[in-house]
Amino acid sequence: MIGTTTALIGAAVLLVLILVWVRGQSASRHLPAVMDEWLTGQDDLPEACPPEFVSKIFSSRDSEFISQLESVDLKRLFLRERNAVALLWVQQTAATIRRIMRHHLEASRLSADIKFAMEARIFLQYAQLRLICGTLFLLIGLAGLERLHWMALRADKLTQRIGNVLREFESGARSREMDGVQS
Amino acid sequence: MSSGVKLVPVQEAYDDLLNRTLARIPCDLGRLIYLASTRDYNTGNYYHEGLANRFRPEVARKALEIAHRQAFYRLSAFSLESLVSDLEAYLQSTRENPREFLRAWQKLEPYRVAIPTEVNLTVARLFTSNLRLALAILHYRQAQNHLGR
Repeated sequence: MIGTTTALIGAAVLLVLILVWVRGQSASRHLPAVMDEWLTGQDDLPEACPPEFVSKIFSSRDSEFISQLESVDLKRLFLRERNAVALLWVQQTAATIRRIMRHHLEASRLSADIKFAMEARIFLQYAQLRLICGTLFLLIGLAGLERLHWMALRADKLTQRIGNVLREFESGARSREMDGVQS
Repeated sequence: MSSGVKLVPVQEAYDDLLNRTLARIPCDLGRLIYLASTRDYNTGNYYHEGLANRFRPEVARKALEIAHRQAFYRLSAFSLESLVSDLEAYLQSTRENPREFLRAWQKLEPYRVAIPTEVNLTVARLFTSNLRLALAILHYRQAQNHLGR
């Protein structure tokens, strides 16, 4: 009996995951073609999305305004448009962080003085950010953007934090190199 | 600055552009469209004859580029409600038939060419998305008014 229940729950979870994955795939098909070019772009990091825009995308202000108009079509259009923008932001954030990490790994490989604690901290923040991006990608459209507002702000803060830690790392490595040259 | 243009003349040109030209345009969308129209589609360079005569052409170009980016980010940060009001003000300033204007803008999406180069992709998408929504809202209001008569 327990075996059947577990199998049923497992099948239901699997079905939900497949549906969410299909939804995600279909949503990404609506993303602009320029994103492909952006994702496979060169080493230069593109301009990051300013934090006030992240907050705006996930805020309830515009949604409340649309609700006041009492039009089902407008509401539907709004949800479709805003979800597409949110999904694009998630993909852009994930791509930015992947690129930052790749850059960091290349710099670490050349560095003779690697600090384990700092590397572990960077990796944990990176893993947390990837998890948040994955969760956001799956939940956008299912949970509603307003409910994911805090998660989006957390992802944005983490992205900035990783960027700062890596900048610290690079400036430290550079000054150590300079010291080495002088001595 | 990569082009070697000194900051002070650019600031002067920017202020001049703001006070002489942009101040006369009644809405933010109008200012954005105007600034985008000073950009050459083939080269992406900005040109404004009056500004280029008063300052050097490269200084005028830089001032226009900065003003364009600022106008874009300012408008992209508008709430949907404010954007609808601004679009309405722009529509009135064109003195075109509102129905024809809405039809053309919904179909051709001319505001896409008003996006500066080198802006964040998500913000650019938010801008076009919000304008699409603002147009749909004005269209809806127009239909409601028509039914009310």
